[in-house]
Amino acid sequence: MIQLFHVFRNFGSNVALSDMDLIVGRGEFVFVTGPSGAGKTTLLRLIFGTEKPTSGHILINGINLNRISRSKLDLLRRGIGFVFQDFKLLPRKTISENVALALEVTGMRRSFIRKKTHQSLRLVGLAEKENAFPLSLSGGEQQRVAIARAIVNDPMILLADEPTGNLDSSLTKDIMVLFRSINLKGATVVVATHSQELLRETGQRTISLNKGRIVGEK
Amino acid sequence: MRFRLCCYFIKQALINVISNRVVHVICLGTMVISMLMLAAFLLLFVNLNSWLQECGHSLSISVYLQDGISKNTTNRIASAIKDLPAVEIKSFVSKDSALKDLKRFLGAQAGLIEGLSNNPLPASFELVFRDVEGQHSDLQEIKGDLEKIEGVDEVQYSKERLKQFEGLSSIVRTFGLVVGGLLCTGVLFIVTNTIKLTIYSRRHEIEILKLVGATDWFVKIPFLLEGAIQGVSSGALALLILFFAYSLLCAEKLHFFTIAVLEFTFLPQEYIFMIFFLSVALGLLGSFIATGRFISISRFFDL
Repeated sequence: MIQLFHVFRNFGSNVALSDMDLIVGRGEFVFVTGPSGAGKTTLLRLIFGTEKPTSGHILINGINLNRISRSKLDLLRRGIGFVFQDFKLLPRKTISENVALALEVTGMRRSFIRKKTHQSLRLVGLAEKENAFPLSLSGGEQQRVAIARAIVNDPMILLADEPTGNLDSSLTKDIMVLFRSINLKGATVVVATHSQELLRETGQRTISLNKGRIVGEK
Repeated sequence: MRFRLCCYFIKQALINVISNRVVHVICLGTMVISMLMLAAFLLLFVNLNSWLQECGHSLSISVYLQDGISKNTTNRIASAIKDLPAVEIKSFVSKDSALKDLKRFLGAQAGLIEGLSNNPLPASFELVFRDVEGQHSDLQEIKGDLEKIEGVDEVQYSKERLKQFEGLSSIVRTFGLVVGGLLCTGVLFIVTNTIKLTIYSRRHEIEILKLVGATDWFVKIPFLLEGAIQGVSSGALALLILFFAYSLLCAEKLHFFTIAVLEFTFLPQEYIFMIFFLSVALGLLGSFIATGRFISISRFFDL
């Protein structure tokens, strides 16, 4: 599902990723871990296509991101859910409208969007707050809205950048159960985290990064 | 395009207009003033042009006939003139009529010509131009054509007056093009910057839309509609204001010492449509330029 071949990503003289080779199979659940600046976020952004590699090739579902047109990349992104570290929620829209945004772009029917949005918010435990605005919610609740938006269109790949960073241990467990259920439905899930507690509790494949290189895998 | 998407785009465009209402009201005001100036200038130009055409019709060419030609020859000359597309016969002045006119003109001094044994004045045809446009360039040709007709002695026309009218018409046209061009450029600049401001105020939303898979057109269309809304509203408002101003200020005819001199008409239908569509086109073009800038920004961030 996700293939990286000799991928380098430099920001000026800083090397964010160096000679990265990685294959993530369809339906796999993978953790990417490492200290701050290890390249976790860069790796996820490269897979999502919001950054281009300095060299090397990235294939998503067999499609080479170097050779894809902008419009095709837009369509490809509809099949990838991304949970951003900074949530990326619009403060002037209700949480329901924020979640619905991912479906609005596909041109789905209003009734379908409403139903899916409600389902998604219910999955993250925020159905009763669907008319609230993001700034009236706690950090953890905003994180869950971001997750609801990422999963609302049943993505084939779910990328999550520190998705439990703002959650307590109980909510962290709930979110991981949610990710696992999405994974069991067939989605490939890649979670970037530096939470050792989270990694200890899971028996999933874990890729360790340091200074832009893979330094371990279990 | 699906109906639901159309509704979404229109809703987004209206939300944009409402949430940035101050900027939009300023832009609308400026656009209305610019379009009003353009429409008012066009109104003046149209009326001036029609007055010039009327004046052009009052310009005449005198075709003097040779003495002693038969009535048949005179008729042949008349039909030869009728065949010319640029001119038409206003009147025929016979030798006797010409003499009577001269006597009337001389008034008390008419006695000076009483003693003449022969009438020295030639019969003539008074011609007028069918259309003032482009007449000057063909004038020599028209004169040549008239002089070629058998029985015609001499052809005379008022060259200076004609040149003056043509010069005035050309100045008005050039001035109109320059002013119109400047106003259109100004309007384009204003719309472009207004839409850029809207795009800037919605940059986070655009970023998120792109991240969840919105195509460029999905993001651009509401902004294009926003420009079109500006164009439609400013065009319609400018024309309405002009019409009310025209109804209030202008009588049907301009009067000079209680004598109706010139008719002052409102813009013809085609000019009304032209102003309206120009306004819409400028709104659309302005927003198109602004969204083009957005595309280059989003490319910069690889969105």
